[in-house]
Amino acid sequence: MRILITSASHDRSAALADHLADRHEIRLTERTHVETEHEFVLSALGHDRSTNLLTRDIDAIVHSVEPLTGEDANAQLDAATRGTYNLLMAAAEEGISQVILLSTLELMAAYPPGYRVRETWRPLPDTLPPTLSAHLAEQISREFAREGSLGIKILRLGDVSNKTVADAVSEALAQPVPLTASCRSNDSTAPHALSITHVGERPQ
Amino acid sequence: MNVLILGGTGMLGPYVARELAPAHNLRITDVNPPEDDLPGEFLHLDAADLDGVVAAAEGMDAIVNLSVLRRDRRIAWDVSTRGCYNMMQAAVTHNIRRVINTGPHFTVAGPNVTECFDFGIGPDIPPQSGTNIYAITKSMGLEICRVFTQHHDINVQTYLFYNFKDPEAIQPGEHYAPFVISWENAAEVFTLGLDIELNALPSNFEVFYVFADMPHGKFTNEKTKRILGFQPRQDVETLWK
Repeated sequence: MRILITSASHDRSAALADHLADRHEIRLTERTHVETEHEFVLSALGHDRSTNLLTRDIDAIVHSVEPLTGEDANAQLDAATRGTYNLLMAAAEEGISQVILLSTLELMAAYPPGYRVRETWRPLPDTLPPTLSAHLAEQISREFAREGSLGIKILRLGDVSNKTVADAVSEALAQPVPLTASCRSNDSTAPHALSITHVGERPQ
Repeated sequence: MNVLILGGTGMLGPYVARELAPAHNLRITDVNPPEDDLPGEFLHLDAADLDGVVAAAEGMDAIVNLSVLRRDRRIAWDVSTRGCYNMMQAAVTHNIRRVINTGPHFTVAGPNVTECFDFGIGPDIPPQSGTNIYAITKSMGLEICRVFTQHHDINVQTYLFYNFKDPEAIQPGEHYAPFVISWENAAEVFTLGLDIELNALPSNFEVFYVFADMPHGKFTNEKTKRILGFQPRQDVETLWK
């Protein structure tokens, strides 16, 4: 499988690339240059043809919206919203079968301690860019899934190791690709166009 | 009341400015210059400029956001999404409790809301904009406003529109969307939004559909009439009569 991983400058993306490289072809991307032994494509995730070329011949995307060092709030929000939209639009146009969005369990931290918070519960983001950005990236992904143009799996990560993340991504990649039709079927065992999985414990 | 209007020189802005000017002090911002007779103080400002929006909001009692960019896939995010973030940061910074946001009807009712088949579509459905660039950028702006109201003592009213008409220019048999209002009638809702006591609103985050009474009943403006006291004019009825 050919996998595109975004936010390549983040330690977790680098570790994920190393882990998946044993069984998959990896392409990393970031909006600034990153030294890596894997294939790397510099991309601002703009709405031009370059984002289509970035995603061409890719089977799956593992996307996260990590800020660059020193990036201000507006730049973080821009990357999380416009960048995610452009990436997913290109992915849909290029016929990519699945997208995994790495989000955060910080979105569920505001629920009272001790509550058994499920994936179906409403996210409670704060107004700070890291969690607000993650929330908006989820919301944008949801609209692509709702329209059936992409199958999207959201992994909301707690404070877990890179190995745990890599295992969760590998498991998600191995699961059936969400289908548009299944979203509207009565088959409760069928995969949905949008699935959310909590990985690790939520902060409380 | 001192009112900051973001995006005030666009299509709706001049109508809103003329409506509000007799009772309020206006500071109007936009990237485009104003008409010669636009009332109020004018500042050249991009809604995507966080520092500029925060500075423009100093001394204001309310913010009205009319900024919009519909089709450009970069500027739409700058203005319609991050513009809302900047506006809300300005409201927090200056303790401004009254914010009026605007957008198109499909900020909440995207393609999965079947206006072809359904009736009585109201503004309190779960937002589902779809991926149209105009709709989704405004919808993310709306969500930013909602999140801020969960954490700060700020009231956001969002007015959603669909199709504006100039009653004098309506031609018999011309096309119209199932959600129409005249420019002048649309502007009147902003007076209501500035006048209403904030504790008279059901919550600190409310969405309103603003349009004339229309016979087909596709959408409903009942909430806007009931809560804000909005009075639709009967000035676009030649569209269907």
